[in-house]
Amino acid sequence: MKRKSWLIALCFASLTVMFAPQSCFAEKLANTIDELVKMYDDTKCWECHTDQHDEWKTSFHSNPINSSLGGIRNFIMIGLAKEWNTPLTKAQILKCLDCHAPVVNFASEKLAVQIAEMIVTANDKKGTPEAEAVTKELAKLNVGCTACHNIKATATAQGLRGKAVHGKIYSASGYGNDEHDTVEAVELKRSIFCMQCHGIYSAPDGEKIQCNTLSGSYQDAYNNLGGTETCQDCHMKDNKHNFPGGHDKEIVAEGLGLNVQITQYRHLPGQVETAKNQKAWVPSAVVTAFVENKAGHRIPDG
Amino acid sequence: MVLDVTAKDSNGNELFKAEKKYFEIGVDTDRDMRYGAWQIKEIIDLTLPPMQTQKEQFLLNFDSDTEEVTIDVKLWYYINGKSGHVVHSVSETLEYEID
Repeated sequence: MKRKSWLIALCFASLTVMFAPQSCFAEKLANTIDELVKMYDDTKCWECHTDQHDEWKTSFHSNPINSSLGGIRNFIMIGLAKEWNTPLTKAQILKCLDCHAPVVNFASEKLAVQIAEMIVTANDKKGTPEAEAVTKELAKLNVGCTACHNIKATATAQGLRGKAVHGKIYSASGYGNDEHDTVEAVELKRSIFCMQCHGIYSAPDGEKIQCNTLSGSYQDAYNNLGGTETCQDCHMKDNKHNFPGGHDKEIVAEGLGLNVQITQYRHLPGQVETAKNQKAWVPSAVVTAFVENKAGHRIPDG
Repeated sequence: MVLDVTAKDSNGNELFKAEKKYFEIGVDTDRDMRYGAWQIKEIIDLTLPPMQTQKEQFLLNFDSDTEEVTIDVKLWYYINGKSGHVVHSVSETLEYEID
């Protein structure tokens, strides 16, 4: 009898591990957004890491669902509903939210579908009190501290690191303190880490989602021509967490060069058909513009 | 991203306008242009590649009685189709002797 119970327990444990989401040891799947956010509570981080929080708050990582409502809504209502004729499931919506809100990996099937429906409401009923309410709820889901420093932390080197352990904080330096258990994960400062989402996304079923193609351009063009800087070198200068990109004028200007030479001359009479006086010299100029891409990827992208 | 070249006379009348666009075209497996991230499977790349400088040249012939033109060269960056800003610009005024 004792042996039978032990076998049942072993069987149950094996099934739990088999179907566990990416980050291990998230005890259960959440049934509400508040429950989900509490499972990966970033507010504790903000108490000490105030600068990083203030910088992050100004970034698109702080509100990645509401800033992409239209695109995600279209995937649900056009892609899934019309083109693929496929039911809305957690696995389907994770094709967007695995990057836009990684914590949704730990939502129950019912909650994940509910979040997807809220996205449709927020977009399609914009301006109504109903949309305003769901937009406020969706704003709780983001790419926050634990998204990078736990959920996604080891995903690019799982063979080496294993799955991220719930509760631990993964950082490139590995410096810790008494407040949290820190694990060194140098990949957080490598391009491959950002490329999980800032490139062609491969869903577990093999579907390719192309929100942007930065990683391809980085690897196949920039690296190929000898470029060695990382995403973080430009988009996280001095370890800043505001992640400037195409939306920020300063970094766009840094990444582009323009050298213009304007050469004035007079064209020979009788050679420019549109000139009124075919016997007169024609005021002319040649404009030569050298447009330089100093970034580590194609411009524009996405 | 758009490189925009315009020339105007001293009264502000436009005498020349040309532009070069840098962009990527997302296509589905039928090679139809698409915008949806789930629809796009390949791209046709008309962007500015990294670590490269592209040369664009424009020949401007004005009318034979043009005495002065101001040439503006602007590099516009569009985060989407509607919202753009000038990243770099160069302006020069040229004066011509008339016969």
